[in-house]
Amino acid sequence: MSPSVDPILLSVYARNFKAITDEMSISMEQTTRSPILCEAKDYVTGLYDAQGKMLEQTENLPILAFSLAPVCKYIKDYFGEDLHPGDVIFHNDVFSLGNQNNDVAVYKPIFYRGELVAWSAVKGHQADIGGNVRGGYNPNAVEVWQEALRIPPVKVYEKGKLRKDVWNLIFANIRLDIVQHDMKAEMGACTVGERRLIELLEKYGLASFETHKQALFDATRKMMEAEIAKIPQGRYSGEGYVYYDGRHEGSKFTIRVDIEVKGQSIKFDYSRTDAQTNGFVNGTFTSSASATILTLLQMVNPDIPHNEGMVQPIEIIIPEGTILNAAYPKATTFGNHLCPPNADAIQRALGPVMPDRVTAGWNNLLCSLTTGTDPQKNEQYVDIGFMGLKGGSGAMLGTDGYDHIGMIDASGGVLDQDYEMFEQQTPHRLIKHELLTDSAGAGQWRGGLGVETIFEIGSEDTQLVTFGDGDFEPAFGLFGGKDAGLNFIRLSYPDGQTVVPKNKDLITAVPKGTVYHQVASGGGGYGDPKKRDRRLLAEEVKNGVISREAAMRDYGMSEAELGGTV
Amino acid sequence: MSLKIGIDVGGTFTDFVLTRDHAEPSIFKSLSTPGDPSIAVVNGLTDIAAAQTPALSLEAFAASIDTIVHGTTVTTNATLTHTGAKSALLTTEGVRDALEMRRGIREEQYNNRYTNVKPLVPRHLRSGIKGRLDRAGRELTPLDLEEVREAIALYQREGVQAVSICFMNSFANPAHEQAAAKLVRQMMPDAYLTVSTDLLPSIRFYERVSTTALNSYVGPKLNHYLDQLVGRLKTIGFKGLLLIMQSNGGVISPGLAREKAGLTLLSGPAGGPGAGLFYVRPHGQNKCITTDMGGTSFEASVAVDAPMIKNDGEIARHKIALPMLDIHTIGAGGGSIGWLDDGGLLRMGPQSAGADPGPACYGKGGKLPTTTDANLVLGYLDASYFAGGKMKLDLAAAREAIATHIAQPMGLTVEAAAAGMYRVACNNMAQGVREVTIKRGFDPREFPYIPAGGAGPIHSCLICDELEIPLQIAPRESSVLCAFGMLLSELKHDFVRTFVARLEQADFAHLLGMIDDMAREGERQLAEERIPQARRRGQIKLDCRYIKQYHEVSFLVSREAIAQGDVTAIARAFHAEHNRLYGYSLESENTPIEIINVRVQAIGGIDPPGYREEPRAGTSAEKAIKGRRAVYLPETNTFAEVPVYDGHALAHGNRLAGPAMIEEETTAIFVSQGFDCVVDAYGSFVLYRKGREDLVQHCLT
Repeated sequence: MSPSVDPILLSVYARNFKAITDEMSISMEQTTRSPILCEAKDYVTGLYDAQGKMLEQTENLPILAFSLAPVCKYIKDYFGEDLHPGDVIFHNDVFSLGNQNNDVAVYKPIFYRGELVAWSAVKGHQADIGGNVRGGYNPNAVEVWQEALRIPPVKVYEKGKLRKDVWNLIFANIRLDIVQHDMKAEMGACTVGERRLIELLEKYGLASFETHKQALFDATRKMMEAEIAKIPQGRYSGEGYVYYDGRHEGSKFTIRVDIEVKGQSIKFDYSRTDAQTNGFVNGTFTSSASATILTLLQMVNPDIPHNEGMVQPIEIIIPEGTILNAAYPKATTFGNHLCPPNADAIQRALGPVMPDRVTAGWNNLLCSLTTGTDPQKNEQYVDIGFMGLKGGSGAMLGTDGYDHIGMIDASGGVLDQDYEMFEQQTPHRLIKHELLTDSAGAGQWRGGLGVETIFEIGSEDTQLVTFGDGDFEPAFGLFGGKDAGLNFIRLSYPDGQTVVPKNKDLITAVPKGTVYHQVASGGGGYGDPKKRDRRLLAEEVKNGVISREAAMRDYGMSEAELGGTV
Repeated sequence: MSLKIGIDVGGTFTDFVLTRDHAEPSIFKSLSTPGDPSIAVVNGLTDIAAAQTPALSLEAFAASIDTIVHGTTVTTNATLTHTGAKSALLTTEGVRDALEMRRGIREEQYNNRYTNVKPLVPRHLRSGIKGRLDRAGRELTPLDLEEVREAIALYQREGVQAVSICFMNSFANPAHEQAAAKLVRQMMPDAYLTVSTDLLPSIRFYERVSTTALNSYVGPKLNHYLDQLVGRLKTIGFKGLLLIMQSNGGVISPGLAREKAGLTLLSGPAGGPGAGLFYVRPHGQNKCITTDMGGTSFEASVAVDAPMIKNDGEIARHKIALPMLDIHTIGAGGGSIGWLDDGGLLRMGPQSAGADPGPACYGKGGKLPTTTDANLVLGYLDASYFAGGKMKLDLAAAREAIATHIAQPMGLTVEAAAAGMYRVACNNMAQGVREVTIKRGFDPREFPYIPAGGAGPIHSCLICDELEIPLQIAPRESSVLCAFGMLLSELKHDFVRTFVARLEQADFAHLLGMIDDMAREGERQLAEERIPQARRRGQIKLDCRYIKQYHEVSFLVSREAIAQGDVTAIARAFHAEHNRLYGYSLESENTPIEIINVRVQAIGGIDPPGYREEPRAGTSAEKAIKGRRAVYLPETNTFAEVPVYDGHALAHGNRLAGPAMIEEETTAIFVSQGFDCVVDAYGSFVLYRKGREDLVQHCLT
């Protein structure tokens, strides 16, 4: 007989699961080397039950977050009875539910008194994963093998023993040595999770754990269902747009979602979405489903625990062969970055029925990566332009957008490089990184402001990779709120030549002294700008985030209201 | 005879601890006066003077005080409530928004209603000035003094009270900052000025500009408060030494505190961890976990030989990169409110009823159930002996609040609901202790646990059960631990310089020069504070990392190791600390090590209160039993009658078995079924897990 549910112990379990995944996350932050991991925190840590159901996660970068449980279930079925204490499994394969090639996961089955009781897992964006282009963003790829080494579930440790041959096979196909160290850090974090969970089992026993786990799923499902029940029943449709597949100039693709709210469940159906591209601008099922879930989570009570119960009322249909779920063996590296247009489609669909929960459009990602040799140190550097890519979020009813937060798939989880560390670690010199005046979409609640980034490139023969969007279509306004501005990246060479890279591009031989200029624009506004608080506007004009001209043009401020503010 | 007083201003009470050489410390409390906290200081001193035998006039008593050590929350509160000075910032052209953008973080990723913090300096008072240094500190463009003048003219028009200066790469060359500072001093002689390289000449622009702006933001408030305090103390005839508690666990003169106000942001709780060590040392221990449970917050910290320090703290979401004690604060205290979330799960806090209206049982209008209400229902508090009987508690009101908000919706009895609140609160606090132990690489089971705060020892047994900690020490001064800790604090001055180099290629002569410069400045400050040569000492730390890592590890090195360029010894110390913190080192792989910062701390020794050993009084505690009452026993989830001991009547060597209650005027201690208790030679209540007499052998025999 299973023990009865102790409502108090239930809170204790919930708090402990969260503490464990948080602790795993700290372990990753402190021990990894790639700045993508330790500075930008592009990783997720989680605990799963024996069946692979999510117990709790720490989601630094949410777009990775909702592929871990599906892969955990896949791995469990894949190995079946052949799972043992001391096994450690690697996985990145996008055709067995991985979300992106570079996001390589470690799964560790957790045994208690000889029985498989749970899993700990960590997935992080690795600095290199083989394929044609160092770092992984190959805009010319059409097949997965041009992008990455595929890692279907593979044991690198079996019964506690390192499989040296397997380990060497994997890392013989990866360029950078730090990836080995960062995968060790992922394994270390899984071990931390394993130890803590076993301590919990020692204290309360397996039967109690199982009973309370189920009760926690049920309580969470109820919370989620209650939130969904607040949405008026019906069927709602929306679209989001993707510009340029990296290979065909002028190409444009449409994401179409039909959302059906019925009772306490919600269904997202992407069947009418455009077909996959013949480039790398394609999603995988789990990256696209993560985008859907993270957008929905921003519309519900943020205190809902993240476990199996949270996802149970959500159904997601994405037919294979669409741009959101490419068929084998298509290239998919850009897939995580289809989150912004996917989120746009959802916000547009639900806006009319949840005007108090949706946001206007968020600034879309446009990112660059520079590599070269620092002439003073004679050392190679790689820099991902985190500071430049972070635009503003969309406004919502009652709340302005968040300035310089970055794309919706990170929602403020990815941080700028520190300016002085940037100048230590690259030969570049920062000229400007400031909020951009008038970049936010006007509205009764304005969008978040974007940023302008200017730096002088300090290495000869510099290579620049761009990937992203937002240079054709701005973040949209809602309910009378205005659109924001467009993204761009522009290079001014010392000889006077100007180069504007495409939004997915590879530019080589950029000379020293070139000025790099980027704008990540703002988020869309919400509601009639004429209704914006006048005192707030006067302050914003004084602070120079809204110009006098824009205040008069977009917000209808009079000279008199603006008064002496200069 | 040397009379010293530690004074800790809290939200509700201002705590006083008096020590006279080796006499027993005495404890006083006065009601805080938030409008001008120095009034409560004088009120308390008035009461203490009257309580002397024979009673003294305030003036006669004040004149007899040698030293006052003072902890204040003036700067903390100014930051938390955004009521600091009107401030301006001179910075490098192109980066004036770094302070506001905070590297683009949104702490709550799924919460679109979560807004950014209001910047410490409004944008129109942040001036980007032409003038640029490169990453090595070489001038690329000279500083535009005309632009500085124009900016200052704007600040004058706007009535700015405080100015900060922070330029790009100034850690490598302070010349531009100094030139701008000179102009500010000329044109705004009355403004409070912070120059980033005077306060924190280390790399990482955002951390430096945030720290500099915080210092300016709280500087004028602290100055104003110190004017009031010093004025009042002078008026009543105090002629001794006044010292201010700083966030790093040391004390400084009021003069230095005025300049570096940011050093006091953690002044209030910073006395705790050092005090914890004081109480465990007689037990042959050099480490402990110190916790302090107040009305709204619960603070936890670890000390090993000395309290743990961190160099990258935060206050109200603003970065502060000055060394401060690693004290973890969570929203859990006596006033924490119990509530049910949308899924029906019971939660405690972080919302607090505070002191006003306070818990329902205070009868001051509070209607929501709090931790204190649960403690009363569970029998841990005596309604007629709260604060020694000075405050009556309303049991019916406590039951009513718990019934309405927790018990009825959950379908539980009031007792079961109260027990649940107690257990959830203890679990929250245990997680807080995990933050400073397990998450920093320490095993909590190896540490004695010091439960401070009036209600701390009511919860400590269950917290220790969760963490499997076998030994607790509850000092007599536990309700005023921070004030006591202030009397133990030495003078401490921290200095830092950035020195980026591969360890094996470092120019050690140059590094030694930097260290000696910092040490000389420390000597000068200690001399100003009248610390004799013999009591001055110092320590050196390097911040290092493995090549290509992003985060540094700070560890102690000797001056000799630097002078001799002993790379092997320095590397060994680094590997060891990295291994302790993160569970591995790369010693065997010969991975290169990089130095980033060098730190010097100048320390001035003081005369701490000594230990005063009580004579043994036999093992029996029978005579101290003042009654029996039913309390909740968490191990069996039942209520049972247990003996209630008068703590004041317990003496050295007395032993008692759990379950039991011990009551003192300002503290209640719950000894659970799992623990027994013995009073040590210094009057502390030592709780040890049943059967673990080995931990307290020296107290038993």
